[in-house]
Amino acid sequence: MITLRNLEKFYEGGYGRSYVLRRINIDIKEGEFVTVMGPSGAGKSTLLSILGMLDGAWTGEFEFFNHLVHRMKPKERVELNKKYIGFVFQSYHLIDNLTVYENLDIPLSYRNVKSSERAATVCDTLDRFHIVGKRDLYPSQLSGGQQQLVAVARAVIANPKLILADEPTGNLHSSQGKEIMELFKKLNDEGATIVQVTHSEANAAYGHRIIQLADGWVVSGGSTAAA
Amino acid sequence: MHPIVQDLRYGVRLFSKTPSVALIAVAALALGTGASTAIFSVVDAALWKPLPFREPKSLVVIWEQNPALDTFRMFAAPANLPAWRQNRSFEAMSALTSARLNLTGGPNGHIEPEELRAERVSADLFSTLGVQPSLGRAFQPDEDVPGHTNFVLLSNSLWQRRFGGDSQVVGKSIRLRDQSYRVVGVLPAGFSVLDPLVDVWLPLGLNPSDPRAALSRTLSVVARLKPGVPIERARAEMQAIGARLDQANPALNSGWRPALYPLREELVGKTQKALDVIMAAVGLLILMACANVANLLLARGAARQKELAVRVALGASRVRIAGQLLSESAILSLAGGAVGLVLARVLLVLLSRLGSTSIPRIAEARFDVRMFLFAVAVSLFSALLFGIVPAIQGSGDGLRAALADEGRGGTAGRSRRLARNLLVVAEIALAVVVLIAAGLLLRSFVRLRATNPGFQPDSLLTFRLPLGGGRNTASDRRAPFLDRVAAVLIALPGARSIGAVDSLPLTGLGVGSSFAVEGRPEPPAGRRPLGLMRSVTADYFRTMGIPLMAGRGFTDSDTPQSPSVAIVDQALVRRYLPEQSPLGSHLTLDQVAHRVVEIVGVVGEVKPETIEGDAWPTIYVPYAQRPLTGMTFVLRTARSPLALAAAVEREIHQLDPDQPVTGLRAMDQVIGDALAEARFDTVLLAGFAEIAFLLCAVGIYGVISYDTTQRTREIGIRMALGAQPGDVLRLILRQGAWLAGCGIALGLAAAFSLTRLMASMLYGVRPSDFPTFAAMAALLGAVALLASYLPSRRAMALDPVAALRHE
Repeated sequence: MITLRNLEKFYEGGYGRSYVLRRINIDIKEGEFVTVMGPSGAGKSTLLSILGMLDGAWTGEFEFFNHLVHRMKPKERVELNKKYIGFVFQSYHLIDNLTVYENLDIPLSYRNVKSSERAATVCDTLDRFHIVGKRDLYPSQLSGGQQQLVAVARAVIANPKLILADEPTGNLHSSQGKEIMELFKKLNDEGATIVQVTHSEANAAYGHRIIQLADGWVVSGGSTAAA
Repeated sequence: MHPIVQDLRYGVRLFSKTPSVALIAVAALALGTGASTAIFSVVDAALWKPLPFREPKSLVVIWEQNPALDTFRMFAAPANLPAWRQNRSFEAMSALTSARLNLTGGPNGHIEPEELRAERVSADLFSTLGVQPSLGRAFQPDEDVPGHTNFVLLSNSLWQRRFGGDSQVVGKSIRLRDQSYRVVGVLPAGFSVLDPLVDVWLPLGLNPSDPRAALSRTLSVVARLKPGVPIERARAEMQAIGARLDQANPALNSGWRPALYPLREELVGKTQKALDVIMAAVGLLILMACANVANLLLARGAARQKELAVRVALGASRVRIAGQLLSESAILSLAGGAVGLVLARVLLVLLSRLGSTSIPRIAEARFDVRMFLFAVAVSLFSALLFGIVPAIQGSGDGLRAALADEGRGGTAGRSRRLARNLLVVAEIALAVVVLIAAGLLLRSFVRLRATNPGFQPDSLLTFRLPLGGGRNTASDRRAPFLDRVAAVLIALPGARSIGAVDSLPLTGLGVGSSFAVEGRPEPPAGRRPLGLMRSVTADYFRTMGIPLMAGRGFTDSDTPQSPSVAIVDQALVRRYLPEQSPLGSHLTLDQVAHRVVEIVGVVGEVKPETIEGDAWPTIYVPYAQRPLTGMTFVLRTARSPLALAAAVEREIHQLDPDQPVTGLRAMDQVIGDALAEARFDTVLLAGFAEIAFLLCAVGIYGVISYDTTQRTREIGIRMALGAQPGDVLRLILRQGAWLAGCGIALGLAAAFSLTRLMASMLYGVRPSDFPTFAAMAALLGAVALLASYLPSRRAMALDPVAALRHE
């Protein structure tokens, strides 16, 4: 599903290049639940942003569902993102001035889904995640766990093939975090490929394998293909 | 739901959650669009709207000028008109002169008497102008013959007001003075030539050979250039005609030449500069409003960076984001435009009232849709431009940084902060310019108000008694009637003294006369000194508080049978009799049948026309020796002058029920009317200055407040490291002071170069008046510091721990 070859990201500074990611070689198969771990500054979130097509300033090769992303224009990458990817952020990033219903509706409206279809899909998702009673509430009226639940629901509402989660339980209590991880496990069992970034060993245990990053390098768990 | 509808709903919800932001933006836009539209409507009517004549650009006014006598816009001599008409440049040339007539009878007989303002005009005036009466017809040539001119055209307003808009009025007769005049037509609403207040037009009936008019200059001349003839060619030809007349009739024309001016320039020339300044101020106001809105939107954009990044991460294209932001900006602009529309109409009514006596054609000012749409378009453009900046920003790094917990500011944030700071500096600079302009006008107006007009205006009631056409018209009845009027009015409780004059100060130059000083070499013909002529009653000077500098005032012994005497003012003495005592000197008055008068007194100068203008050499003669039909009384009272107004009318009507009493007002109002234009300009600019002040204060507060919020974490760190509240205060104030300093410096420089353009509007104040510049700079500086102090109070009260946790 995902193949990265010699992917690199750097900043040009006064004293030369400052690398964030160096010669990243990773393979991820469809249906895998992969955890990316490493110390702060290792480049985990950067890697996730690149996988999610949120960051286009990198070099190397990136193949995604047989699409050569490194040869695609930004607009084409956005379309790829819309079609296949759902993103879950550590800070939920719900839109404060939209209700739960409207937050779920947003991704569908950006994918030009007809309003009648959107209504049906949102209602189904509310029901699936057991948050029907929260549909008219604003994020500020929800607990952290509920907000993250809504964020996960928003990430999956368009049926993405790939779910990217950046520290999804970082701002939650352990019990709330366990609920979210159980949810991810369920989604993975249903066929979604999940790539999560986490510091938590407990969360990592939900995945199939761990990719270790350090100082921008893949230390272990990535691709075995030579550079 | 359609995306646009969705975006509009979201936009409305967003603004309802931050009503202060929306209100400020809407108010700024409303002020900008409303004020600009109202002002433009006035300026358009006064300066740009075509005059309601056929091909108005071809119309010119012809005066006479004599540079040697420092006279540049004098009435034309009737004796010159036939020669002027022998030209190749004009297809028509018409003359007119002002008059006042009493309306003494209507189509049905008795009518409440009223003094009317009239113009006597050539029969061809209306064809020259290309105007047709709305009812009836214009004058015919055989109605413009001396002795056969008892025909009249009514103004639309008089026709409505006094004759009920009677469609059958044409052909009926009315009485003006003691004669019957047949109504031949009614002119269109709003029609006027040089005087906007004329009630009736009568044929001129000019006899250029009339010996009484041999040396007089009494006509205004309006002419139409032939197609393709430029005004310069016409000027050259008229100059040549004037030179020939100089040779042919030096007694009348020595040194005199025709002076041509486009009619539009004649009507609006005096106010053009003021209106230009006002339009410029409006332009600055629009810029300030746009800067304010831009600042608000940039701040909102910065605050919503994370939300927009999330939307992009969720799949929104830049076009979609831009569409959402444009919808929100459009809501603000349209709301601002709607409020501005209401404001424009209200302001237009207020401006029309305020400028009714000072701005030409202001009654024709209509809400101008073009300007309103233009102003809305400017505001919309500004709102859209700055509203979509967040949508334009969006490199991958920026997006990721916005989403990351540690992402703060970055390059995009710094550039936006710079943009906001630049906008505030620009706003302050603009406000400085407007404030200084208003301050200069205010100082000028105060100086004008404080200027001694030459008399004591307080507690003076004035009113006019036009005797023409009434039972006291005969020359032997005038003086006794006025004496009776004075006698009954001085007996009123509260009356202190009473006098009368034919032309009140500050109401116009009135009648003048050339004269010669006995015993002096006869000046060349046409170069005789000119002075204003005034007929006054004995107590006039005492009542007005005009000081007697030498000699005596007029007394009851100055009668038609006694030697002719005169009192001159200091301006005449200074100019024409500087080396000798004027008392006992004799003057020969050309316009009073060459009467020789002895100077028996000298009085102080009064301003005849405007307070800022110069005094004219003036010759006063006793009313008994020159009894005119129209006199204005001045009554000094012990209490409020208007308290006696009703009693004055009552007493006069007891003497003669048919005697019109017009222009009943306090002298303060006369002065107020003389200052009307200056007051209009000052009040308007002061209003703009207040708005500019407010916008500026809001702009500074907004920037400082937002930046303070953004710096909360930094402030928390500083406090954790030992900063005291005072240190935090200085930190915030320094930023505000820096912005204000830059803006004020820029504004002062701009004002220094721009205010010289309004030099002609100022009285007693230089365009670079240091106290005004300093005061406005200090005022804005104080406002900037206050606007910075308010957010700094919040910062000083921060809990360092909470601040360090601030996102």
